[in-house]
Amino acid sequence: MFDKKVVRRRRAALAIFVALSIALLTAYFGESGGGLLHAFQRGAQEAFAPVESGASRALKPARDLFGWVGDTFDAKGDNKALKAEVERLRSDLARAETGQRDASQLRQLVDLGRGDGFPEGTRPVAARVIARAPTVWYSSVKIDKGSGDGIRVDQPVIAAGGLVGKITGVTGGTAEVRLLTDASSAVTAQVMPAGASGVVRPQVGDPGDLLLDLIEGDRRVTKDTTVVTSGFTSSKIESLFPRGIPIGRVTKVDLDELEQYQRVHITPFADLRRFDIVQVLTRRPAGEQAAALTGTTP
Amino acid sequence: MILAPSAFIRVGFLLLLAVILQVSGASETAVFGGHADLVVLTVAAVSYYGGSITGCATGFAAGLLLDLATGATMGASSLVLTAVGYGVGRLREVRDPSHGLMPVVVGGGATAGWVVTFAAVSFMLDVGARVSPLVIRDMVLTVLLNALISLPVFMLIRRLLRPSLAVDPQELGRRRRPPRETGPLGLRGLEI
Repeated sequence: MFDKKVVRRRRAALAIFVALSIALLTAYFGESGGGLLHAFQRGAQEAFAPVESGASRALKPARDLFGWVGDTFDAKGDNKALKAEVERLRSDLARAETGQRDASQLRQLVDLGRGDGFPEGTRPVAARVIARAPTVWYSSVKIDKGSGDGIRVDQPVIAAGGLVGKITGVTGGTAEVRLLTDASSAVTAQVMPAGASGVVRPQVGDPGDLLLDLIEGDRRVTKDTTVVTSGFTSSKIESLFPRGIPIGRVTKVDLDELEQYQRVHITPFADLRRFDIVQVLTRRPAGEQAAALTGTTP
Repeated sequence: MILAPSAFIRVGFLLLLAVILQVSGASETAVFGGHADLVVLTVAAVSYYGGSITGCATGFAAGLLLDLATGATMGASSLVLTAVGYGVGRLREVRDPSHGLMPVVVGGGATAGWVVTFAAVSFMLDVGARVSPLVIRDMVLTVLLNALISLPVFMLIRRLLRPSLAVDPQELGRRRRPPRETGPLGLRGLEI
């Protein structure tokens, strides 16, 4: 009934392409970050960048239209929540201003400048998101700034609200940001003001709910407390993220879950599904850092 | 599909356009929390009109382009889209469907195959994190959105590929219809 030649050709085509895919997968996993396939991928990303950037700008009105429709539905609920948030923030602001005055006096007493914490040790570079991975399994975005702007691998990236991820790949004019919601993401963090520390991990597929796996189980964690990067430094290793970048707020403390898994749920401050502009926290040059701390021009 | 240079150019252009529109537009446009996936729809449409060999070649190329553009693990998307392209192409060759709404079924089915198989491949490769049940909601939304937009997408791709198609399923469908029996009794079948 079927032509044997056609059947053979069809099966051969399938076998060849499947074998090629598996060979690519194996080679990609086997090689280091500087290998041939990774370099080819970086080159392709650099070539794609201008087209993606143009397309992203051209398609913005369409995206905004869809966003506006969704926002209108959400606005009613948000309004109530925001009013309550404003009330709370007003009292927080008053406390923070007092604390800030105290802190500036304390800073003169303690040499805090030795640790290059946020924001003194960093210089934010603003960038626009030009591409986004289409599946939930690889949560990454591409931005329109690269090594030419001082961006390097492993630098933290923030968006409106707080931390969104870190740089995992850089070309001359673009960089890849692996988001907090990526399956491979893990950020050391601390709950403020209790000080309990742990690791923030994602729940794949739910960008509004991150998990904080606590390391120190003896500290009490309560709802509505803020989670920030802990930015630890030891003699051998140093955290990629400077201390104090806001990540999110503790929204669910299930006592059973806390006891069994040492885990609480947090909602990220940044909207990890929708953001157009980010800031990469590049490191300030050492001379500039010292000048900023002493108040002189480098 | 007639394997002429113009066919390669057309399919290459389509894939490039689909990947760019996907990463720069569709992935960032959330509709009820999900988003459409133009790449798998394009692969499904080309495979539907071009057959299984064209389907697996298109799937492989689309996956490669997607992985290059997004920085994802190279080969993972190619593997799954090759299978999707082959499957859709075989469906066309074996069943030879010609119904006008077939793109909706093919688009939805291909998308379902893509999201489920890609999830399985991702699990097997390197997902160490906990997976939220909301992943299933995202998958269902993507399948529904793709089924919704598959008719215009298939129509557009059919129009672009038409000069290179050896057999057009919709034309076949039209030819199979019995002649209309209108007019006076003596003129039946003359199509006046």
